[in-house]
Amino acid sequence: MSTVTKVQKPTITPKKKKGFFQSLGKQWQLMIMSVPMLLYVLLFNYGPLWGWLTAFQDYQPKKGLAGSAWVGLDNFRFLFGREDFRLAIRNTLAMSVINLVLGTVSAVLLAVLLNEVRNRTFKRTVQTVTYLPHFLSMVIVVSMAQNIFASNGPINQMLLSLGLVKDPVFFLGKGEYFWWLVGVINVWKEVGWNTIIYIAAMTSIDPCLYEAASIDGAGRFQRILHVTLPGIKSTFMVLLIMNIGHLMEAGFEIQYLLRSGLTMKYSDTIDVFALIYSFGSSKPHYSYGTAAGMFKSIVGIILLFGANKIAQALDEDTLI
Amino acid sequence: MKKLFAVLLSVMLLASLLPMAMAEGQEPITVTVFRGDPGDQPTEDNKIYKKIEDELGIKFEIEFLAGNLDETLGLKIADDVYPDLFDGGNSAETLENAEVLIDLLPYITEEKTPNLYKHIYTNDRIKQLTTDDGKLYIIPNYGINYNAQIQNYCNGPAFFIQKQVIAWNNYQVPKTLNEYFDLIERFLAANPTTPDGTPYQGFAILCEGWRHFCLINPVQHLMGRPNDGEVLIDVNDPGFHTETFIDKPYAKAYYAKLNEEYHKGLISKDTFVMNYDQYIAALSNGTVLGMFDQTWDFGTATASLETSGMYANTYLALPLVYDPEYVDGKVIEEHYLNGTVMNKDRGFGISTSCKYPERMVQLMETLLSDEWQKTLQWGFEGEDYSVENGRMLMTREQYVNRSDAKWQRANQAKAIWESMPKKQGTMDDGNAWDPGNQPEIYFEQMSDYDKEFYAACGVKKPADFFNAPIELAPYGEAWQIDKAPIDIDYNDFLAIQDRWLPTIITCDPAELDANWDAFVAEITPSATVYTDFMQAEVLKLVEQALN
Amino acid sequence: MTTANVQVKKSKKRKDIAFPIVNTIILCLLMFITLFPVLNTVAYSFNDGMDAVKGGITIWPRVFSTDAYTELLTDSAVYQAFWISLTKTVITTLTNLFFTSMLAYALSRKEYVLRKFITTVLVLTMYVNAGLIPNYLLISTTLKLKNTYWVYIIPTMFSCFNMIVIRTYILGLPEALVESARIDGAGDLRAFFQIILPLCLPVMATVALFVAVGAWNSWFDTYLYNGSKKNLYTLQYLLRMKLATTQNSSNAASSTADALASSSKVAPITVRSAISVVSAVPILIVYPFLQKYFVTGMALGSVKG
Repeated sequence: MSTVTKVQKPTITPKKKKGFFQSLGKQWQLMIMSVPMLLYVLLFNYGPLWGWLTAFQDYQPKKGLAGSAWVGLDNFRFLFGREDFRLAIRNTLAMSVINLVLGTVSAVLLAVLLNEVRNRTFKRTVQTVTYLPHFLSMVIVVSMAQNIFASNGPINQMLLSLGLVKDPVFFLGKGEYFWWLVGVINVWKEVGWNTIIYIAAMTSIDPCLYEAASIDGAGRFQRILHVTLPGIKSTFMVLLIMNIGHLMEAGFEIQYLLRSGLTMKYSDTIDVFALIYSFGSSKPHYSYGTAAGMFKSIVGIILLFGANKIAQALDEDTLI
Repeated sequence: MKKLFAVLLSVMLLASLLPMAMAEGQEPITVTVFRGDPGDQPTEDNKIYKKIEDELGIKFEIEFLAGNLDETLGLKIADDVYPDLFDGGNSAETLENAEVLIDLLPYITEEKTPNLYKHIYTNDRIKQLTTDDGKLYIIPNYGINYNAQIQNYCNGPAFFIQKQVIAWNNYQVPKTLNEYFDLIERFLAANPTTPDGTPYQGFAILCEGWRHFCLINPVQHLMGRPNDGEVLIDVNDPGFHTETFIDKPYAKAYYAKLNEEYHKGLISKDTFVMNYDQYIAALSNGTVLGMFDQTWDFGTATASLETSGMYANTYLALPLVYDPEYVDGKVIEEHYLNGTVMNKDRGFGISTSCKYPERMVQLMETLLSDEWQKTLQWGFEGEDYSVENGRMLMTREQYVNRSDAKWQRANQAKAIWESMPKKQGTMDDGNAWDPGNQPEIYFEQMSDYDKEFYAACGVKKPADFFNAPIELAPYGEAWQIDKAPIDIDYNDFLAIQDRWLPTIITCDPAELDANWDAFVAEITPSATVYTDFMQAEVLKLVEQALN
Repeated sequence: MTTANVQVKKSKKRKDIAFPIVNTIILCLLMFITLFPVLNTVAYSFNDGMDAVKGGITIWPRVFSTDAYTELLTDSAVYQAFWISLTKTVITTLTNLFFTSMLAYALSRKEYVLRKFITTVLVLTMYVNAGLIPNYLLISTTLKLKNTYWVYIIPTMFSCFNMIVIRTYILGLPEALVESARIDGAGDLRAFFQIILPLCLPVMATVALFVAVGAWNSWFDTYLYNGSKKNLYTLQYLLRMKLATTQNSSNAASSTADALASSSKVAPITVRSAISVVSAVPILIVYPFLQKYFVTGMALGSVKG
């Protein structure tokens, strides 16, 4: 079985003997295709990075980079000196790990289930219906979730009538539940949308592989295990590595909408923290936000390269 | 025929000459405007903007807020060109701190701008309006009264109770905290559910985001003061003793009372995680008997209740105070209504990029004239209002139009008017500047239920339940003080309340004392910083106002 | 091995009936869970505002009204904004697909000597963010794109995420295809446009969907750069502004008696719902056309057949 999948991506060893510039000269067509966009991102994505310098300033937009006072590491000292920032790091990581696991598992699972549906109309209907919540605004979805998880909401009524609990569970007011609520709401809203990319990846699976597997006597689960999943493995790996790099981004809107005084210690992510402390007054501390953003970026990049290295070592698909 | 032609010709000539005569030295200009609030773009043929363009030669290019205000102001400040008329909404201090506005004082003189001069120099208002270094950046958009102030109802903070509860109590109105909760308890015992079987909720507390004032503000009012934000100020003390109230024993009395009511079932746990929509929904269904809030904060619910004819479930505002037992036997007099406070630092400033600052000041001056103020606030006579025996009147339709967004786009210069200096109170002829305050119109809008209800209570209008507005303290209202210098501590101070108060209200009564002590211990450091800062600021303002 | 095969064959029949049934039930349940919020939103959007604030609406309007849509769509500015949004979405999608896919091909070529360098530089763009102000200044003061239509097109020509998605897809295609083209003497440009691109239709459809949805629903660019240019407003910006206005006026029925006399038929909750519906509709119309590319084996079928 493993030989069959390997056929899909044969490896070509580049001829290393040639000089760098000699190869480059031969590859002018590839350069035409890639260098303009390289310049483009250098301008649009790297150009503004001078902004990171303001993390070491008390930046005032009116004075600009040149006119604002330099404060060394004060902003970082402020952030890491605060207990709520340290809590925010914990909350961010916890929620993104939960999101990553729940989000990926649910999307792959749904994609596989959809792939097994033979009736085309039904398949399309399910696809269309499940991606629709993606278009609802977060305000609406969170508001609905607040009604559903309320003490007298449907979930509690169900738990009570099944006799699973004696008193209604205070889902919204207990910090311990907050991370999981965020995870569940995210899956609810995005599972269909997240599936699209795996469905597209499945289109490149050679139907012959299924036939061959059937002839080998493989059952449905074996076909899934040995044909479908390997077929989307490279997409899965690449997305996984990318998302590991994004572990410092747990979002902002959903937490901000769902939080309350009772759950504050569990709800506030780095982004929520940065917003509150940067713009909490009429003399905004722009630099706090920048410092927090820079910290997030650096950790993200370290995680990204780490994940990429591990994938490389395991001889899996890599991002870079 | 020839005559007609001649008349036509002369009319045309006149028409073409007129704008030229008007615009002598006043070439038509387009002014860029930023509003720190969301808003609707006016239609191309909006009648008020057209009048401004025709007569003053000024066109506006207006930009409204759509995202986060502070973030947006940061970007605008970083940019190299600012809008000519710059309104920073609730964060206008940011603009002043960043020095993007010009000082208006040199442009305002008694000869050139008599209206503005009178507007800001009467009653020494100027003393309160200028900054520490004696500059005036923004003329307040609201809060400068002319003649008498008309108070029909309380628009601000109060304890609220459904009118049916008062009616059930033979129109006897509670005056203290204990009377209030006692009445709700008795009503609930007699009527546990609405006619259709939904259980009533005795008392709701909205805690969402910035609306947490419903949770953290009541104590100062129970102590007999109008809204000073989070501090209690002794105005009879020459030193204007200022203290945070939330960590004091008299505040504990309130939250202990709420704890008691929570265990009696008047307050639901869900109230602490309720979002604003859910709160409004609960109010609109008529299931909430009482709450502490500000009238404007639940306008949607009131409108919804009235639309569906549930007048008995609309709310009456009550100025409650502590019973003497809570405050060492003192009898507290209520002062919920305050003298009109100037909306300092809110409104248009003129930016340093503006090429015609003089003309902008002149625009403010012209629009502040009686004639223009009538146009801006009431509209055109005959079209938007009528005059009978000197009284300005609106039909129901005319009045209702004013809150219709589509009508506003074509018939009001809302975006400009809201941020411009304006006249409030009453005109010299006794009509109200704001149509909504005109007694004839107010009573015309009042439902029959309300008329009967107030008659049964023995009052004419809702404001009669309140003492007349107290004289405004020399420092204004303390919530206006800019907390930028201590913002981190102030954030902590608020967050600790948000975190602790729900716990204190819902905890086992046996643990109440321990929880309260833990809360006070945690809040003391930030509360101390905040108190010291506010005390100094209040004194500074008092000194500024008095000398 | 043989025993295992026998066992598999024995249970195969039963499983083949059981699985589709279980699968269908699971998917129907999932549809119910995800359809509910959508229907609920639609129901709210068609409900009377003053009634809707009472909550408790499920999947059918309680007091039917189209006021929220009237409020949103009767403003003549909507049509201009719709046109801007439409052209912006189409142009952005086309340019983005063109540049992104070309780049994805180049970076899928393992012999390309700049491959690793360029890939690293591009991938990092997903993780570095300089913050709002420097980005704003670049577009506003350095490039002078403020108050122009170009601000909708130029800064959104490339997305690294989409490039990676396409690249991964290309890497999954049989290498022999490109090789055979190159033996025919075709350069990389021709190999890409003539052979690889047509094979990428499924993934291009996916990316087109991502880009189009992003472009259609974005409002922040209008807000940052074209907020004072009425004729450059996009639909989403206009709708969002209307929502903010409704919220604002209902929050602060302010100093007048408006709160008590308000007869406004719309409430933030209905307007917000209507906006969600309006934003989803165009994509809903386009999606079925893209969906036909999402069929297993379709990419290879064309080659082998």
